[in-house]
Amino acid sequence: MSGIVQVMIFGLLLGGVYALFASGLTLAFGVMRIVNLAHAVFIVAAAYVAFFAWEKLDIDPLLSILFIMPLFFIAGIGVYRVFFTRIEGSPRYVEMTVLLTFGVAIMVEGLLGVQFTGIFRQAKPAYLTDAFFIGDFLVPTGQFFAATLSLVLLFVLYLFLRFTRTGYGIRATMQNRDAAQLVGVNVRRVSAISFGLSAALAGASGALMSYLFPFFPFRHWQWIAILLALVVLGGMGSLKGAVIGALLLGVASSLVVDQIGLGWGPMAFYGALFGILLIRPRGLFGKEVAA
Amino acid sequence: MIEDRAAADGLEPDVVEAVTAPEGPRKSRWIVVGVLLAVLLLLPLTRPFIGSYNYWILIATNVLMWVAMASSWNILGGYAGYISLGHAVFFGVGGYVAAVPLYYYGVSPFLTAVVGGLAAVALGLVAGLITLRTRGPAFIISTIALLFMFLLIFENSDYLGGTAGLPLPSLDLVPQEWRKAPFYYAMLIAAVGSIVLSYQVAHSKFGLGLRAIAEDETKAEVAGVPTRFYKILAFALSAFWVGFVGAMWGYSLAFARPTLFFTVAISAEMVLMAIIGGRATVAGPVIGAVLIYAVNEFSIVQFGSSEINIVIVGVLLVTVLLFFPVGIVGSLRDKGRLPAFLNWD
Repeated sequence: MSGIVQVMIFGLLLGGVYALFASGLTLAFGVMRIVNLAHAVFIVAAAYVAFFAWEKLDIDPLLSILFIMPLFFIAGIGVYRVFFTRIEGSPRYVEMTVLLTFGVAIMVEGLLGVQFTGIFRQAKPAYLTDAFFIGDFLVPTGQFFAATLSLVLLFVLYLFLRFTRTGYGIRATMQNRDAAQLVGVNVRRVSAISFGLSAALAGASGALMSYLFPFFPFRHWQWIAILLALVVLGGMGSLKGAVIGALLLGVASSLVVDQIGLGWGPMAFYGALFGILLIRPRGLFGKEVAA
Repeated sequence: MIEDRAAADGLEPDVVEAVTAPEGPRKSRWIVVGVLLAVLLLLPLTRPFIGSYNYWILIATNVLMWVAMASSWNILGGYAGYISLGHAVFFGVGGYVAAVPLYYYGVSPFLTAVVGGLAAVALGLVAGLITLRTRGPAFIISTIALLFMFLLIFENSDYLGGTAGLPLPSLDLVPQEWRKAPFYYAMLIAAVGSIVLSYQVAHSKFGLGLRAIAEDETKAEVAGVPTRFYKILAFALSAFWVGFVGAMWGYSLAFARPTLFFTVAISAEMVLMAIIGGRATVAGPVIGAVLIYAVNEFSIVQFGSSEINIVIVGVLLVTVLLFFPVGIVGSLRDKGRLPAFLNWD
């Protein structure tokens, strides 16, 4: 029994991190209806920044989010302006975003490969191998820091969306784009800011990835597959759904690893995705997703 | 004949007039096809005359394989407008369905390739039943998940050789110097078969239904198109030749390994070829496959690294989407400059 509790603690710590990884993805879909297949490659790119900041400049990966987030925020706005303002109003817009971000993902993956080669990287700060006990249960320090930071960032995001003027605009656009425009929300500006935020969240995720999960350019496909599964489970565009989905699947995949075997962890994500498609195609908290 | 069928489908005569090409070019395009087919059939016999025969026959074999894959993808991704980013799953399933009997029992993939194709169809039916409950982005996402789920299963299965895969014996019924020819002809059959399938679909009531779904699924459904049945059928049909060529490809490589088959890169190529050539056209994916394969081959020879090739593929995809979303055949058609031998729609 205590073994299962221990596994669930690992799962929750993992789920907290997944929640941050998926938050940017679900924000981009919720506000701009962009299915961003390049989200995970942004995360991997940020992981490279954090890795080299740690290796060359001795900057702690957790601290590196202080400059990675602004950097990715600006880069995100740039990406939005270059790629997405062009296809606004095109027929079958959502499908277009998928194909376009698919292309962007391939492009960035290739560039990362040219620059950094395909070898595995992982930052190794001192706390990576540390752990402490709560009662009888082991808590790895690195994962604890990561999950805590994730939840703090998600809480800040929640406060921002809930209480600032821009946050109002973003939420209004999420609910109904046309109506938001009618009442005077600058939808274009809000969209650009949201995509910037989404990229900044990818940046923070990358800083955590740099020491939690060994990475190389091609790895992003495995990540985007499980993050998308998670987002569909929670309901596309729902931040609450993404967080709950992440915690559930973090625990579920830890249980799968514990009971079945190390390689089978991601099966929890795919199983959950196909299960949810069979029972409730719109996800746990999602609105109807039309093409 | 076209008039008859159009009349049977209830089209007005003037509509028929508009969609029927003049008689002259219609004949000339058959001449082009006849000559091309004759050349392709005789190509392997040029062995005594061409110095770098082995290189060119391999290139031709691969191009034919990609023609088959891009044309197949187009049935679902083009006509029906349902983008699948997981079509490599059918490639892999076909590959393994042929590789396992070969590895364990010595059964030749030339006998089991069709079974590989049928297994892909079966998977397409089952996967379609689940994934086609959704539309648009959720469908695309579920195809990616399908691909990675299969990668996971195959990598973790000892019977299938795990991550290392299965080493396969090479073809020994044929003398060494002619060993590439059977694979070439198998891929030629697949390429022709998939183009014929694509053409048949494009010119059937079923194809019309798929186009209606791509246009506006709700309206299509209201108009009485059995959308769910059509979509699942399209998914299954688009899997067959991909499974078939997967079976042949594994054998020609002499091993089957999960990361070679179940990879996003293979899906990406299919998507790119069909889109750059022209989605929802018969000729588009064929042109796209030839073009993209040439670009890949050139960039690997020129730059020697597959990473740069990946960048080029990405840049091409983005550029085409932003500036020529209807592809080469679509753009030419819109300008009224499509040569008759490319006009099969």
